Amino acid sequence: MARLGFLIDQDTCIGCHACTVACKAEHEVPLGVNRTWVKYIETGTFPNATRQFSVLRCNHCEDAPCVEICPTSALFHRDNGIVDFDTRSCIGCKSCMNACPYDALYLDPETLTAQKCNFCAHRVDVGLEPSCVVVCPTQSIVAGDLNDPTSRIARMVARHDVAVRAPEQGTRPKLFYKGADQASLDPTRTAIAADGMIWAEATAGHPTPPVPDPEHQVARTAYTTAHPAPWGWRVSTYLVTKAIGAGAMLVAALLVLLGHAGAQASVGVLAPLIAGAFTALTGVLLVTDLKQPGRFHFILTRPNWGSWLTRGAVILAGFAALTAAWFVAGLLDASSAIEVLAAPTALLAAATAGYTAYLFAQCEGRDLWQTPLLLPMLLTQAATAGAAAFTLADVFVTVPGPDAVRWALLGGVLGTGGLIAVELSARGTRHVELAVAAMTRGPFAGRFRLAVVAGVVVPAVLMILALAGVAPTGLAAVAGLVAVAGLAAYEDAFVRAGQSVPLS
Amino acid sequence: MTDAAARPLPDGELAAYPDPSTWDDVVVHDAKDWPRRTERHFTLVPTTCFNCEANCGLVAWVDKASGEIVKLEGNPLHPASRGRNCAKGPATINQIKDTERILHPMRRIGKRGEGLWEQVSWDEALADIGGRIGRAFREGRHDEVLYHVGRPGDDSYVERVLHAWGIDGHNSHTNICSSGARLGYAAWMGFDRPSADFANARVIFLISSHLEAGHYFNPHAQRIMDGRQRGAKIVCIDPRLSNTGSIADWWLPAWPGTEPVLLLAIARLLLENGTWDREFVRRWVNWDTYLRAVHPDVEPVFDNVAPALLAEWADHTPERAAEVCGVDAGALHAIAEVIGANLGALATHNWRAAGAGNLGGWQTARCLWLLSVLTGSVGTVGGTSPNGWNKFIPVPPRHTEPQGRWNELTWAPEYPLAHHEMSFLLPHFLREGRGRVDTYFTRVYNPVWTNPDGFSWIEALTDEDLVGCHVALTPTWSETAWFADYVLPMGLGAERHDVASYETHSGRWIGFRQPVMRRYAELVGAPVESTREANPGEVWEENEFWIALSWHIDPEGDLGIRRHFESLDRPNEPMGIDEYYEHLFAHSIPGLRDAADAEGQTPLEYMRRRGAFAIPGDQYQVHERVLTDDELTRTVRGDDGVYRAPGTAGLHGSLDEIDGHMPFIGDGSAGVDIDGTPRLGFPTPSRKLELYSETLADWGWPEHATPGWIRSHVHWEDLDLAGAERILVPTFRIPTLIHTRSGNAKWLNEISHRHPLWLHPRDAERLGIEVGGLARVTTRIGHFVIATWRTEGIRPGVVACSHHMGRWRLEGDRGNERWSSGVVGLDNDDHRWQLTPREGTRPFASDDPDSGRIWWTDAGVHQNLTFPVQPDPISGMHCWLQRVTITPAEPGDRHGDVHVDTERSADAYREWLALTRPGPGPGGLRRPLWFARPVKPKATAYRAAT
Repeated sequence: MARLGFLIDQDTCIGCHACTVACKAEHEVPLGVNRTWVKYIETGTFPNATRQFSVLRCNHCEDAPCVEICPTSALFHRDNGIVDFDTRSCIGCKSCMNACPYDALYLDPETLTAQKCNFCAHRVDVGLEPSCVVVCPTQSIVAGDLNDPTSRIARMVARHDVAVRAPEQGTRPKLFYKGADQASLDPTRTAIAADGMIWAEATAGHPTPPVPDPEHQVARTAYTTAHPAPWGWRVSTYLVTKAIGAGAMLVAALLVLLGHAGAQASVGVLAPLIAGAFTALTGVLLVTDLKQPGRFHFILTRPNWGSWLTRGAVILAGFAALTAAWFVAGLLDASSAIEVLAAPTALLAAATAGYTAYLFAQCEGRDLWQTPLLLPMLLTQAATAGAAAFTLADVFVTVPGPDAVRWALLGGVLGTGGLIAVELSARGTRHVELAVAAMTRGPFAGRFRLAVVAGVVVPAVLMILALAGVAPTGLAAVAGLVAVAGLAAYEDAFVRAGQSVPLS
Repeated sequence: MTDAAARPLPDGELAAYPDPSTWDDVVVHDAKDWPRRTERHFTLVPTTCFNCEANCGLVAWVDKASGEIVKLEGNPLHPASRGRNCAKGPATINQIKDTERILHPMRRIGKRGEGLWEQVSWDEALADIGGRIGRAFREGRHDEVLYHVGRPGDDSYVERVLHAWGIDGHNSHTNICSSGARLGYAAWMGFDRPSADFANARVIFLISSHLEAGHYFNPHAQRIMDGRQRGAKIVCIDPRLSNTGSIADWWLPAWPGTEPVLLLAIARLLLENGTWDREFVRRWVNWDTYLRAVHPDVEPVFDNVAPALLAEWADHTPERAAEVCGVDAGALHAIAEVIGANLGALATHNWRAAGAGNLGGWQTARCLWLLSVLTGSVGTVGGTSPNGWNKFIPVPPRHTEPQGRWNELTWAPEYPLAHHEMSFLLPHFLREGRGRVDTYFTRVYNPVWTNPDGFSWIEALTDEDLVGCHVALTPTWSETAWFADYVLPMGLGAERHDVASYETHSGRWIGFRQPVMRRYAELVGAPVESTREANPGEVWEENEFWIALSWHIDPEGDLGIRRHFESLDRPNEPMGIDEYYEHLFAHSIPGLRDAADAEGQTPLEYMRRRGAFAIPGDQYQVHERVLTDDELTRTVRGDDGVYRAPGTAGLHGSLDEIDGHMPFIGDGSAGVDIDGTPRLGFPTPSRKLELYSETLADWGWPEHATPGWIRSHVHWEDLDLAGAERILVPTFRIPTLIHTRSGNAKWLNEISHRHPLWLHPRDAERLGIEVGGLARVTTRIGHFVIATWRTEGIRPGVVACSHHMGRWRLEGDRGNERWSSGVVGLDNDDHRWQLTPREGTRPFASDDPDSGRIWWTDAGVHQNLTFPVQPDPISGMHCWLQRVTITPAEPGDRHGDVHVDTERSADAYREWLALTRPGPGPGGLRRPLWFARPVKPKATAYRAAT
């Protein structure tokens, strides 16, 4: 079985961009996006300055994170090793763009689906080389069968010291570089200077480290192409609404455990009402974030069960169903039914809150999101958000065991605070360090400070006072509101900072 | 050693191209419908690229379902490009499908330059233009018809037209391009260009950025990297870090204009080290003439040559050169060592760069060729040949007698040695009253934008007394077309016929450009009569246009013009384009007929199917060829060993004795005696390589008759570098663009659309320019304002700004394509001009959704407007480098602002004109008869007016 791969010979590449244009011609790639591009970096000082080129594109990984995360299997491996895609199946969730550690995927403005280099699979199928290989003046792009020891590519890979991009990601790329400057393959080591690039404008979407880091940045990015962050406010807001929805039922289950299943108004009706509303809102955010929202049902009709996006959709659906059952039981004042529902609902609420940790873990391109603390963080956030919902509800209806709710809120924010502290003190990869720096002193520092103050410090103080008996209902309600605002700020900083580290 | 035409198949089962035998019907899956296997059928039609001068092969993929070209790939049958292309090749499809292109002939209404147009028919345009040219000819105003060409893309077609019209009306762009290097080479060997055998070289010495912008970018880059893979060392001289410099083993950022010093220092080292090819120099260099002329006190024997040269170049020690050039002396020693260790395998090339930048820049090429000569690397495997050995110009059908006129508007008496026409001085010549132009063709040429001093061009073009009718032959709108009376849409690379041959490597080839849709129509059995029937809209091609126009100039045939354009077998009918090429390919290309016969095809069909042909035979060491008895009959051996033929430029009593066409280069002598054997040699008067150029000496420049250094007009020691003076390099090209012809290629503009001023961080600090801040760059005649870019990739003291950007239009939606141009305001108060940017590039609505996705905004700065004309007094080359003052922008300055005073332009013109030593030369000639010259006239036309 053939195992096709690329080798790019940076010893002979002259940085002419012919590959970029030939690819645009072959695939009619629209302006603004690229399947392959040439990066220029400059190093050294006059007269020993030099410029290095690197041709960047899909690595056709053996363990392709994009294939794994794609909820509809729109991305898939061909038998010959090509990582291919079918735009007809793509729902435009952009998770592949966060899963890929190489910035290989883009959202096509024509089809509104994710696309990338597919090794010109349509040409390969009729025995033709990819168009970038054909055009290259210096034959610096070699395409061939890595399994055939006599092929040019296999011989070159065997004979020369070749490198791959981001080997630490464990994706097993099938794109090899010969003679590439290490800095040109490591995007954390080069930055676009304040006066821009050599002959193209640098936009906010052009990859560059989020904070200056002279110690590690050894080169200037003189030319590259834009790769804007795929996920924005909808995803960070979804984390909040989902935390509220899941948290509300978690706290409700806690109250049931404490023997309050019979509190019809707050536990039986209001809790599932809040959870249902926010879960529905979560669904709306998720669907509207799809570039092909009309295809959202593909997640269930063309599922990739390995994708946590698919799994999450099922969890969300299950959680919504249980919440609905709870609501019906609440309306009927069937406290015994609620007692039965409590455990499975709590379980699915926890899964709803926590599955995102596994989804984000599948985003191999975003090291910040790989933290093992994400799962506990999401759970404490859910506790915070759920408790906050109850402290607010307490203003309008009588919540049984309000102190339990207040303790939950205090526990949630302190837990969150503790996890943030642990997270920041832990040493991670360069990517993690840069993302943390982006949060703590970079472009998202404002949001992060808000997250700490509003999400931890203020509610903690207020809750201590409330628990000490100082205007407990009012203070707890305020604390809940502030905590949710802080949570929102944190999620936004976390989502954006995670995507702020350049991958190319 | 020769290049295989077709690219070898890579390993495995993947091929670079469908087998040419299947090109009429190639089946490939639809890329967009994939992974469904939706079959699409294509017909593949070869043509050649029309973007840069290299004329690389292209293959157009015509979708048989829609009957449209969908993409262009390389042509594997093309001997120079070998199936590969640079970014500009595949981008041709953007140009073809450009929603902004001109589809119909347009005629101005209102004042010239007012921007009001009406669509006219081709017949109306032909009748009007042909009529006025006919009137000019009938009234003896032949010199008032000028054809000004930018990118020729063809070797002989228009020359034939102009000879047939009997006018000296050719005006090329050479003097803003390559004149400097041309004179440097011509003075040595007659041929005015080098043809380096990079692929087989051991040392590659480049004074140009050949890996991104050399004259034959893609073919050369291929072979330079081939050579490098085989172990060749690369030396690149360039004050800024080009992509070439970044790959070179030695990047030497010499002070601009000091390159000859560096080269002479290396020459000295070769002589001192004894690592030079004594035998080659003894046999093939006119050293005896040199010794007699320069060292009359020394006995003219060969052993005295090296000491004489060392004495002449005594100042050019590596240590001194290192000081003058600002490079490391150790590098010069190391380079001399590697060159000396590889005698015979030094490939050198200078085309523009330093040769085109400096006063005396032509000496750069002359000194570079000195290294080729000293190392015996002339015509060798891995060396450098004269271009003429690797280029083939076919004789066209109906070859006419040479035209007999001399037009001083282009061949001014002040510049008898210029290579070639003093094209960029035309506005000044007109303003001085040297003549007027009745009908002025600009053909794929944009002097308002590209030439220095564009405001003087606008002044001339808008003065209807100076220019009666301006006809722009162009595929796209341009700054110059705006000031035309007729804008006639001519085809792009895939929409026209041309035959061209270039010295891309060792070997000769011809490439055939053809209108793809016309060929496709023929293949599907629906042939058309004229290319414009198959092209988009009414887009035509010049070659058919010239036939039709000639017919309108001389409808009755009484001017004697029409007969040259009549069919070969249908009397009194115009010649057809198929007929023209059928005849040309059948009769003028060695070996083509046999190759076509072997395929059972006519030569024309063979070329239509393949797009290119490699002429058989080795082209190394051509000078050594022993002359046949036939060639020696009717020749006379002179005392200098040269075999001259009576009735040629080399041997005649009066000019009237020289009949017909003189050779394009050379005096028509047969060869030279070398150690008792008559050999072909070089087309110089001595038939040898001329270390001492008697022509330069005799025509007024004895002090520059040997390779040497002329201090540049921007020499660093003359500048106030402690203050704000700097040297501006305004010409460097980037791999993705080509002058103003690629503005209509969206993919290229997406990659490259800004051209900040490069300056070294140290300079930026000294000049007080903030990171990314605006600089005001003041020249002799005005200033421009531009954003800056700090880089270590430039010599401190030098600033650089790429060519290409700064395209503009005066109206929001017309006058230029909107992919690259911005909207500007143009104001003048008499001679004080001002260009003010109003809007950068913006998304716009069109049939191409991509026009709404334009994300770049910077349209750049039209810097060339601020450059005075700076003609080198000998080569005629416009010396592009500018002595400028750089200051931080002033309040109110905006990126893109341009201010110029054309009175100061005129002053600058007069100052540079005063540096000349006007002709006539020896024998009362306007120009040496043996020098190359486009549309070379009859010998009698060389007689200066008395």
